[in-house]
Amino acid sequence: MMNLITKLLTPAPQKFHGVMGIFYYVDDAAEAVTQLRKAGHKDLQVFSPVPHHEIEHALEQGPSLVRWVTFGGGLLGATGGFALCWYSIQSWPMVIGGKELFSIPPFTVIGYESMILLAGLANLLGMLALARLPQLKATAPYDPRFQEDKIGIWVPCGPDANARVEQMLKGQGAEEVQVHG
Amino acid sequence: MSQTTTHAAAHGVADPEKRPITQASLNDDVMKLISLPGKWWWVAFIFDLIVLAVALAAVRNLIVHGWGVSGFMRPVMWAVDITNFVFWVGIAHCGTLVSAVLFLFRSHFRRAVYRIAEAMTVFGVLTAAMFPAIHTGRPWFDYWLFPYPNQRQLWTNVRSPLEWDVFAVNTYLTVSSIFFLVGLIPDVAAVRDRAKHPLMKLIYTLLSFGWTGANFQWKHFYGAYLFFAALATPLVFSVHSVVSWDFAMSQTPGWHSTLFAPYFVAGAIFSGVAMVINLLIPIRKIFKLEHIVTLDHMEKLAKLVLLTSTMVGYSYLTEFFMAWYGPNKAERDLFWFRATGHYWWAFWTMFSCNVIFPLVLWFKPVRRNMGIMFFLCILVNVGMWFERFVIIVTSLTRSFNPATWFYYKMSITEVALIVGSFAWFFMFFLVFVRVLPAFSIAEIKETLPMPRRRDHA
Repeated sequence: MMNLITKLLTPAPQKFHGVMGIFYYVDDAAEAVTQLRKAGHKDLQVFSPVPHHEIEHALEQGPSLVRWVTFGGGLLGATGGFALCWYSIQSWPMVIGGKELFSIPPFTVIGYESMILLAGLANLLGMLALARLPQLKATAPYDPRFQEDKIGIWVPCGPDANARVEQMLKGQGAEEVQVHG
Repeated sequence: MSQTTTHAAAHGVADPEKRPITQASLNDDVMKLISLPGKWWWVAFIFDLIVLAVALAAVRNLIVHGWGVSGFMRPVMWAVDITNFVFWVGIAHCGTLVSAVLFLFRSHFRRAVYRIAEAMTVFGVLTAAMFPAIHTGRPWFDYWLFPYPNQRQLWTNVRSPLEWDVFAVNTYLTVSSIFFLVGLIPDVAAVRDRAKHPLMKLIYTLLSFGWTGANFQWKHFYGAYLFFAALATPLVFSVHSVVSWDFAMSQTPGWHSTLFAPYFVAGAIFSGVAMVINLLIPIRKIFKLEHIVTLDHMEKLAKLVLLTSTMVGYSYLTEFFMAWYGPNKAERDLFWFRATGHYWWAFWTMFSCNVIFPLVLWFKPVRRNMGIMFFLCILVNVGMWFERFVIIVTSLTRSFNPATWFYYKMSITEVALIVGSFAWFFMFFLVFVRVLPAFSIAEIKETLPMPRRRDHA
C-alpha cells in the first residue's frame, strides 16, 4: 500500500529546457526579473514563499480575472435564489393571513444567501482554473526551498541562450544557478 | 524536521516574546505542532472521545425514545438544543470576523491568530448544525428542510425564518469551509515538502493542490482571497441576523424586537473572541509560540472582547428600557420575570459574566495577564450560553396565556448534549492542531522584514 502511494507521489522525471536562478534577496530577484524581461525573456516564472510586490511590478502582472468569475457566480446565485422562491410559492401556494404570496423581504434573504453561496463557489472554481490548480504536471523545476525563504526565477530558453541567462542571473546576485536541458 | 533555528533562538534570548523569527524558523516553529503528537495530546483526545460516546448514547435515546426523555414539554419545545445551536453559531462567527473583516480593514494583528479562529468557525458551524438536525425528532427526514423537486410539488416555506436559517447556515458552512481550506493551500504545500510518511505526504499533496508558489498562483490566490473576505464579511453579519430572526419574527414577548439582529451579532463576536483567547492561551504556552502570538496580539483580542461586551450590555439595558417604556404589558411582565422569576439565577449569571466581569478589561495589566484572561473568557462563554438559555426558556415559559405557563427543568439527557457538543468541537480541534498548520506560515511571513541586499549592505 505504502509502496503504491510512494510510486504515485513520484512522478516520471520531466525534461525542462531553461535556467533556474535561486535568490535570497528580494531586491536582487526583482532586478533580475526586470533585466531578464528587458532582454526579451517575457515568459518567466517566479517562485516564492510569499508574494512580493516588487517582483509583481517587475513582472507587470495585471489584476486577477477571478473577480469576473465571482461576479458571474453571484449574479447566478441571486437570480437563482429569487427564481426558486418565485417558482416554489407559485407551485405550492401557502396563503398565510391573507398576505401577498410574492413577498420581496423574505425572498431577499434567500436570494442574498444564494448569491453569496454561488459567488463563493465560483470564486473557488475561478481561482483553481486560473491558477492552474490542481497542478498535476510541473511547469518548471521545483525546489522545496521555495516554501521556506528562497525565491526561484525560472527562465525557459534553448541551449544556445543558457550561458547568457546563467551569466545574467549570477550577475544579479543569484545564490545558485541550475541549467536544465 | 530541523528545529535548530528555533532552539538557537530560544536559547539565545531569555524573553520568549522577543525570540527572533526568520522565514525558515517560522516554518520550524509552526510545523513543530504537527511533529509532536505527545502523550498529553492522546490523553486529551481519548478523554474527549469517551465524553462524546456518552453524548452519542444520549442522542440515541432521544432518537429511539423521542424527545420525551428530555425535559421538553409544551410550550418549551426549544430549550437546550436551540440554545446550543445559537451558542455554537455564535462561537463560529469570530473566525470570520478575524479572518475576513480584519483582512478587509488591513489589520495585521489578525495574521498571527486567524487560522485558529477560522478552524474554530468551521468546527463551530459543524457543531451548531447538528442541533436543529437532531431537534427535528426524526433526523432521517432532515432532507425535507431543503427545497427539491418532488412528485407532489411540495416546497419548503420560503417565507419562514426557519427556512432562511437553512439557507444561511448551509451557506455559512460552505463558504467558511472553502475560505479555511483555500487559506491553507500555501502552508500545506510547505508541510508537504517536509512530510516523510507516504500517507501524510499524499494527504498534504492532495490538500495543497500541487501548489508551488509560482507568481501566477499567488496572483489568483490573493485575487480570490480578497473576494472570499468580501463575501464572508456580509455573510457573517447576515447569518447571525437570520438566526436572531428565528426569534424576532415571532410575536412572543422578549423576542419580537428589531434590536435582535445587531444584538445577536455583537454577542456572537463577543463569545467567539473569548473562545479564540481560550484556545490560543494554552497553545502558545505549550508550544512556546509566545514570539509568534505575542501579548500585543492577545491584548488586541481582549479589547475586542471589551468592545463587544459593552455592546451586549447596551443591548440588555435597551431591552429592559423598551419593555418599561413601550405599551406592551406582556413584554414588561416578561422582562420583570427574567430578572426576578424562576430563572433569576440564569439571568444574573448571564448579566454578571457578560457585562460586569468583563469591565476589568479596562485595565491594561488584566488584558496582558494570560491567567486572568483565560478564566475571564471561560466566564464570558458561560455567560453567553446562559444568554441564549435565558432568551429561549424565559420567553417560552411565560407566553401571553397564563394557562400555558410552565417551569422547564433540564434533564440529564440535555446535560449530555451540552457536554457532548464541546467534545464534538474539541475532537475536530485536537485533530486539526495535530495535522494542519495551526498558524498561517505565509501570512505571518509577510509581516517579517524581507531580506534586501541594500539593507544588508
